[in-house]
Amino acid sequence: MRVSGKMNNAVIDEKRIQATLQFVTLKKMNRLSHFRCRKVREATNEAKQRIDQYHLQLQNLLYEAMHLQKEINKCLEFKSKDEEIELVPVEQFYKEAPEEISKPKITENDDHQLTLSRLDWELEQRQRLSKKLKEVSCSKDEILKEIDTKQEYLDSLQPKLNSILEATKPVQSYLNMPYDETREQHQTALHLPHPLYVLYMQSSAYKDACDKYLKVTIEGDIHSAKTLDMSVQEIEEDSDSDNEEQEKKTRRRKTTEDRRSDKKQRVLRKHPLTVAMEISCKEGSKLLLTFSYLLQLEIITVQVKVIPSCLDAVQNSISGGDLLLPDSILNELYPGDHGNNTPNPANQYELQRMGLHEFSDYVSQVGRPYQWTQWLGGLQFLGDGNPVTVRSSFSSAYMQQTIKQLRKRLKARLALLHQLATLEKNSIPVSSCLIDMFPVKVLSRLVSWKRSTYEDFRSLDYTKNITEGDMVSETDIFFTAVMERGSAKLTCQVVVGADYPTVPPLFVVSISWQVQRNATNDVHIKELEEEVNVHYTELIKPKTRDNLLSNQLQRLLMCFDVYLETESHDLSGPVEIPKDKVFTRVARGPDRKKPYKYIPDLGIFTHR
Amino acid sequence: MQEQSLQSRQLYHMTIFTQCFSPCGKYVAAANNYGQIAIFSLVSALSPEANESSRLPIYCFKGCKEGAIYCLTSTDTFLISAGEGDICAWKWSDIHNKAPKIIWSLSLPKKGVFTNPEVNSIVVDKQEQATRLLAGGGDNDIHIWNMENGQLENTLQGHEDYVHSICLKNNGRECVSASEDGTVRIWDARSSSEAVHILEPHKTPMCGRPEMGKWVGCVAMDHGDDWLICGGGPKLSTWHLRSLTPTATFDTPGSCQNFVMYHEENVISGGMKPCVNHWYVNGDLKSQVPTTSSSIYNIAVNTVLDQLRVLSVVGNSCKIDVCTNFGYKAFSLKFVPS
Repeated sequence: MRVSGKMNNAVIDEKRIQATLQFVTLKKMNRLSHFRCRKVREATNEAKQRIDQYHLQLQNLLYEAMHLQKEINKCLEFKSKDEEIELVPVEQFYKEAPEEISKPKITENDDHQLTLSRLDWELEQRQRLSKKLKEVSCSKDEILKEIDTKQEYLDSLQPKLNSILEATKPVQSYLNMPYDETREQHQTALHLPHPLYVLYMQSSAYKDACDKYLKVTIEGDIHSAKTLDMSVQEIEEDSDSDNEEQEKKTRRRKTTEDRRSDKKQRVLRKHPLTVAMEISCKEGSKLLLTFSYLLQLEIITVQVKVIPSCLDAVQNSISGGDLLLPDSILNELYPGDHGNNTPNPANQYELQRMGLHEFSDYVSQVGRPYQWTQWLGGLQFLGDGNPVTVRSSFSSAYMQQTIKQLRKRLKARLALLHQLATLEKNSIPVSSCLIDMFPVKVLSRLVSWKRSTYEDFRSLDYTKNITEGDMVSETDIFFTAVMERGSAKLTCQVVVGADYPTVPPLFVVSISWQVQRNATNDVHIKELEEEVNVHYTELIKPKTRDNLLSNQLQRLLMCFDVYLETESHDLSGPVEIPKDKVFTRVARGPDRKKPYKYIPDLGIFTHR
Repeated sequence: MQEQSLQSRQLYHMTIFTQCFSPCGKYVAAANNYGQIAIFSLVSALSPEANESSRLPIYCFKGCKEGAIYCLTSTDTFLISAGEGDICAWKWSDIHNKAPKIIWSLSLPKKGVFTNPEVNSIVVDKQEQATRLLAGGGDNDIHIWNMENGQLENTLQGHEDYVHSICLKNNGRECVSASEDGTVRIWDARSSSEAVHILEPHKTPMCGRPEMGKWVGCVAMDHGDDWLICGGGPKLSTWHLRSLTPTATFDTPGSCQNFVMYHEENVISGGMKPCVNHWYVNGDLKSQVPTTSSSIYNIAVNTVLDQLRVLSVVGNSCKIDVCTNFGYKAFSLKFVPS
């Protein structure tokens, strides 16, 4: 065991040494590891510090970059004021600007320089313009001042003029120069509706220029004309309330009806002002025309009055008592114009809408709307109705012609009346200058002259061809004349057109001598009619045109003689009517025409 | 206005005295109391689509300065018109071209200062040797001209009043005239001596109508030259020429006949009643066709073209009645001056 122990001791010592060695090694290792750890830590720290430094640097650079970018953007977004200025185009600039400014050599290839020099040019131009502006406004101020002073002077003039005008009034009235009146009339004219204004203006212009026998005045209530605009508005309001009333009509029916008739009247309402025209003839007779304007229907109507110079002639004529009646005297002044119907086609609908009758029923109330009255007022209606703009040129185109026609009509009617009055006494007033055209000895006599009617005329069987031939109209004036010689009796229907003597009277003859003869069964009667109806031009001398009816009648009387004397008869029986006239030949041509034509120089009858 | 009324009155008072068909038969010319000549186209008036306007004149011109035209006749090339004033010849070709002018004219020899005779009837006598023109009118004579050289060859004198109507007989060797003096005279056209025969219808009790006058207005010969028909104041009557006696009368009470013609064994006449009378030769009335005119002056039948064979009637109205079937009036042409 000692061995073993010794041995053990040895081992143990050995072991101990070893253990100590080991321990030392361990200690060294530990130190080493500590040392290394510290070293690594330091290295790490150093690296970390470096990284931080780099990071900082990066941040700085980024910031710098961003800043620069911002700066760049700022620069890019910079706007110069010159871009807002509208410069003259380049071509114009080169053309207008002097070379010192445009410097074509430099600017041609350099946009910047170009813009600069264009700006320079612009500046110079603007400076010039502003100088000019100053000058002009200066002169304007001066002129304004001048105007002010002149206005002041004019204002001060008005009272002076008024006083002068006042002072001249007695002189005016003494010298019979109605300047004031004219002025007042012109003032009033401003309140006329436009068509009447045109009519007034044109007719007074015509009066001043060419016709001293014409008088034009404005009549009516000027105050109501002035307030007309207001009242028009009122009417509109009124009609609104009217509608409401209709809704509650059970309660107030009666008032509504009243209003309705009111409304109807309103359609036919006239403008309160009218234009009165007085056309006088040389011998003193006058035609008074009163023109009114219908506000709602937009047409001009006229009311007529005739003042003949010698009343006795008018009263004496029975057959022509209605010749001067206002309703008919102006019939067919222009062909087909009777003034019965409204020339504005739109009115038809308006009247229907208001439940009124035909316009012709109201003619007596409002006057007649002749075509020519519209023309004088410058109104022109087309087929579709809307009045074309009121044109005074249109009015003036018709003025002279119409006034002439009116005067001619008045003269013709008066002349006709005189003739009728004489004819009723069974004598024919042949014009003195034509008396030579008829033989002195005419044996047939006028025995009756009466008024007849269209119905009477139409009911005769031998007038059928005439009525069908469109030569007679209902508005013509009809007469029946009877002529006699021995047992032969000539009955003659005389148709005098409204437009006498432009359209000459038409004669339809029937002769009763043993048998009834007329144009349908005897060619010689048709010839007789032809003598007066077609060959009337010989009976018209310029001054005695209006006397045509009498001249025609005298020729008819003469031709009646010829007819009777040349009619063949039974030679065995007694001759009732002897040949009294001298004829070259009794018959001529295939139709055995009668010698109706009288040759005054030789006193013989011959064929036409 | 005035012109318009005058125009319608002139139209109403128009009398168409005469008419004649063109050589080609397609046209009809008519002349009126105002001296106007109107040309109508029968082809367009008779076409199925004819309307108002195709019955108006295709052309109208003034045929004489003043007064009426009483007779028209036609040769192969000429339209000859006569009436108041001269006898005038117009070329058909000029008329078709609407530019008519007077090619030649003849005037009646003047007898006195104040006489101004009219021509009431003209007849063209076409012979192999020469074409002659016969005219009767207001100077009571019948004048015969040579149409080739315009020479007045012969004048037949004897009537005591103006000549209404003339017609040829015996191939142009003789001529017949009817006059206002109440006689019908038969002449030898080659000699200028007195009339060969004188008929006086008003003196025979069979024909005389004293209340109508004695004048004879129309005369016509039948195709065989045996029968003569005449009328006017006296009744229309046929005369047998060998015995010179009236054989049949054609009674028209109250109406004098202005025109008569033989047509295909029948007699057609017209006068102062608004109708055309168609008669059998024995004097029986075959039919009466009403017309527009109340007095008829001329009746003509177009024999040139068969498809345009119409009877047309003129008188104292501006309408020319045309009968395609002779029994009734088919339509009227209207003489409206252009």
